[in-house]
Amino acid sequence: MDRRKFIKKSALVTGGVIGMPYILPSGLLNAQTTPPMTEHVVFVLFAGGVRQQESVLQRYLAGSQNEDIEGNIMYNLLNGQPPEDKIAYGTDDTQNNIIGAHPIDPILQNSLESQGTLFPEVRFARGGAGHFNGLSTGVSGNYYITQGLRNRPESPTIFEYLRRHAGFKATDCWFVGVGIGGSRPLLNFSDHPDYGRRYGGNFLAPLTTFGEPGQKHFMDFKNYHPESDWETIREIRTFLNNNFAADGLEIPHLYNSVDEENKIREFIRYMFDKVKQDQVILPPVNDNRDLKTIGYAVEVLRYFKPKLLVVDLTDIDVCHSDFTAYLKNLHRADHGVGFLWREIQRIPEMQDNTIMLVMPEHGRDMDPNPIQDLNDWYAYDHSAGNENTRRIFSLMVGAGIDAGLRIGGSENPVGDASDITPTIADIFGIKNQVKSAGLLDPNARSLFDRI
Amino acid sequence: MNTLISDNFKMALLLVVSLFLFSCTEKEYVYEIAPQDILPVNSEKDKDKTKIQYISILYTNLFRQAMSPNDMLDALKAIESVGDKQIAFDILVSKYMNTGEVVLPSNEEMRTNPEKFVRDLYKRFFVRQPTEAELTWMKNYIQSRPDALPEHFYFAFATSNEHFHY
Repeated sequence: MDRRKFIKKSALVTGGVIGMPYILPSGLLNAQTTPPMTEHVVFVLFAGGVRQQESVLQRYLAGSQNEDIEGNIMYNLLNGQPPEDKIAYGTDDTQNNIIGAHPIDPILQNSLESQGTLFPEVRFARGGAGHFNGLSTGVSGNYYITQGLRNRPESPTIFEYLRRHAGFKATDCWFVGVGIGGSRPLLNFSDHPDYGRRYGGNFLAPLTTFGEPGQKHFMDFKNYHPESDWETIREIRTFLNNNFAADGLEIPHLYNSVDEENKIREFIRYMFDKVKQDQVILPPVNDNRDLKTIGYAVEVLRYFKPKLLVVDLTDIDVCHSDFTAYLKNLHRADHGVGFLWREIQRIPEMQDNTIMLVMPEHGRDMDPNPIQDLNDWYAYDHSAGNENTRRIFSLMVGAGIDAGLRIGGSENPVGDASDITPTIADIFGIKNQVKSAGLLDPNARSLFDRI
Repeated sequence: MNTLISDNFKMALLLVVSLFLFSCTEKEYVYEIAPQDILPVNSEKDKDKTKIQYISILYTNLFRQAMSPNDMLDALKAIESVGDKQIAFDILVSKYMNTGEVVLPSNEEMRTNPEKFVRDLYKRFFVRQPTEAELTWMKNYIQSRPDALPEHFYFAFATSNEHFHY
């Protein structure tokens, strides 16, 4: 072979090797080309149906109860001064029997808005403003106009995209649910035939796992030796399962490896020990389910350092019947998110290496229902077709995110509820693969492409 | 000359053709039995048990008594709260094994009569008899693994894929 031919062939082979997709541990071809922006993402689905009026617009009672009192009760997330009158959102003054009299101290010195980028006017564009539609849109980047409860999302979730296209392990991906109601346990993977359970994320509803049901049926589970006992059990079980080889007929597991299974089991044992000793990490104020769930989410972050953790909050949904409780829980959700961000910065592997996204799953009605609470304030539902339910916000903060940036406004909405999935895909360098799958809402775009 | 050759050739050709036509005379027997696909003994178990069914049957198989409705509901909630059901079932069975109330044969019983132990296991958990191959494997495993306990077998059967189907 002459020199010219040799150089030509070498160049072709080298180009082929570079251009050739490589095989992931999951056995799938991957064509990842973009390096990840950061190592970890935490996504907060906030927090059961939030009105813009009491959140981003900071109107406190002025936007809902005909009381001329404005102010910011989410001062960990947003810039702005708190209300100065009719304080009802804090902790109770038990001595004087005043509900919500003491605002909770801010956790963050600088609000997340000042540290990150806020899209104050985002659209929940399609479908009814139901919790499942909102949550599944958040994790899959697609709306479900006709889909009911007790169904998995039809389009792949971000967990499936990441496991399939970025090669993430099962324990890299977690959905921490505030409970097992509202089909939350179905949000960790979709029914899509090209994705599905093989690429699902791990799910945990810690208040159930470590609450009464789990304490009765899980706590103090036998500590089998991982090598002698488990090896024997697995050998026998593998033989049995090999003799039951019908395709797909298996206990619905999530393809955690043996090491991952052991680690999850040990995490659950470890957490039960912490529960018994009352040592679960919790926010300073932790008097509702959302705040306790956030505490457990921090435990998951500390133990697994997952690449993606999604946590959903729901307590502000009391707004259907109790506006005062809604304000209190909105204030607490802000407290919880501030705590979550602070704790992330205390995990060495995640400090300065994590992006957090916050987005309500949907808004809430403009007009109240007839129910009044102890302050004679009216309650609000989230009804299909009410335009106010389509108004939400998105916030992102962390490594590489522009600080103090505000994109769009009331007269200029920018962003869509389906944006979070392509945004996370963008952060982890698989935006093109996710777009190419063609299963996102047509309006879905990475928030980075909207700046 | 030409005619003679031609006649000989015709005779030879006839002989060859006759050989082909009448050489295979073995009679083909038709037994009039429809063709059958040979399937594994557990092939008809192609439906998932519901989680409630699984928990209820599991509890009965381990404790030989029925579970109370309240306990069943709590067990279901605990199972729902963990995404990977293999892990959830493993922990549930581990918990039950730690109660000391699971009805298990002794190690001595298993080793004295391994065939009865294996047949009882298959009947209890899979509602069928083991095949000869399964029986042989299990008996060999028991004999070759002195550390294997009845509890290990119960655990493996209880958390196997076949036990989750019917």
